[in-house]
Amino acid sequence: MKEIEDRLSAYLRAKLGAPDLVVANLARIPGGASRETYRFRARYTSGGKQLDRGLILRRDPTASLIETERTTEYRAYEAFFKLGLPVPEPIALELGSEALERPFFVMSEVENCAPGTIMSPDPYGPHRQKVGEQFYTIMGRIAAADPRKIGLGDFEGARDVHAAAMQEVGRWEKVIEEDEREPQPIVRAAIRWLKKHPPPPAQKISVVHGDYRSGNFLVDDAGDIRAILDWEMSHLGDPLEDLGWAIDPLWAGPDPGRPGGMIPRDEAIRIWEQASGLKADPKALLWWEIFASLKGAAIWISAALEYADGRNSDPINAFSGWYTLAVHNKVLADRLAELDA
Amino acid sequence: MRPEIGTILGFTAQRIVMGLGDQGAAYAQGSAGIIAILLGAAAKEYERGADIRFNENAEIRALFGELAPLIRDDGLRRELLDAAGARDKSLRISDLNEGNYALRRLLTKLQIDAEEHGTPATRKRIWSVLKAMADRRLVQLGL
Repeated sequence: MKEIEDRLSAYLRAKLGAPDLVVANLARIPGGASRETYRFRARYTSGGKQLDRGLILRRDPTASLIETERTTEYRAYEAFFKLGLPVPEPIALELGSEALERPFFVMSEVENCAPGTIMSPDPYGPHRQKVGEQFYTIMGRIAAADPRKIGLGDFEGARDVHAAAMQEVGRWEKVIEEDEREPQPIVRAAIRWLKKHPPPPAQKISVVHGDYRSGNFLVDDAGDIRAILDWEMSHLGDPLEDLGWAIDPLWAGPDPGRPGGMIPRDEAIRIWEQASGLKADPKALLWWEIFASLKGAAIWISAALEYADGRNSDPINAFSGWYTLAVHNKVLADRLAELDA
Repeated sequence: MRPEIGTILGFTAQRIVMGLGDQGAAYAQGSAGIIAILLGAAAKEYERGADIRFNENAEIRALFGELAPLIRDDGLRRELLDAAGARDKSLRISDLNEGNYALRRLLTKLQIDAEEHGTPATRKRIWSVLKAMADRRLVQLGL
């Protein structure tokens, strides 16, 4: 840790033009399995003032839960920070390997708050209504933003409203093709169903967060969402993709009627529609819900393979291969059997 | 189910030996929590792993035997009948998996055929087996 502190100090001194900057208290923190995440303090003088800032370092791992474009998350933070959404302030992006052996970025630490956990039966307690209203409103604001106007018009993903759905199916089918070691008949049936029953065209092309769910945002003691995190899978596509993912049963906890342990599903959809100015057509949303479980399965298959092959022995990857893949197989089997009846 | 228990126990032991605490207390605490959940699940999987695979394989073979006479494609019908009459090599997890993977591949072929040519009753019967497989493989958390 001391070596990383010293190297990070040197890097930030040059980057921020602060010759007296010192990095202290660097410690790895859990979460964000696709990047190594560290918390630290940066102490330096700026404009004659002595600063003591809490910052976060996100460094590329040797192998990750899902391969993600390293600039994607940083650029999403830049765009939505400027738009006034609750995201950490991006500070520096380094694509070279000289400073810390692997590419990384630094952002502000949003202090005195915590994420909800999907393992908790009631992650937001008395604040569930307030958190839920904010959660779906922010998601709607992301959907409403024009990617070109916020500088993300060149993001990876779909450009054509007619192609967005099948492009995503193709993307995750490829991951499954590459990483599946154990035949997955339910997952294969889901891919066939999604291809045979395409949804209506997207109402617009938006920035899709890609992992917008309970557990990927920070809440303070008053029940205010202070930061939406983990944008590394963000891309351009149908905004219903985020809604389908957020209400997936995997995040539901003990009450499937309250996705993510927040507000009832119907209320969630209504708030999202108001904030986005879009409609959540039930047929289209059903397609994106089934897609969400397929995408989840693809991620878990990929994570399990990385663990089994010894490329990433973070226990969260083994957990993904065991627990979450089994849940998504069950969700898909129940839903597809019902649709086929 | 991947990764198998042996892999999880091996990597977990390695991680503990190398030291969970060298990257900070918060990370160590988070890792220890997930490791505890994994080991609890591994203990349950040790007890039921062979049973799950043995019964799943038997159920798929029974399905093949039941539906094979309804299949028009000669090659697929023959494959189904051969698989229905086969047996697992042993009760070792690796042998049960080997048989299971072959059965799962053939189950997908059967379902594709049923989606094209089968009756609603045939498709429902296949889904009943897939649903049972999904239920059986759910992992119960907790120590």
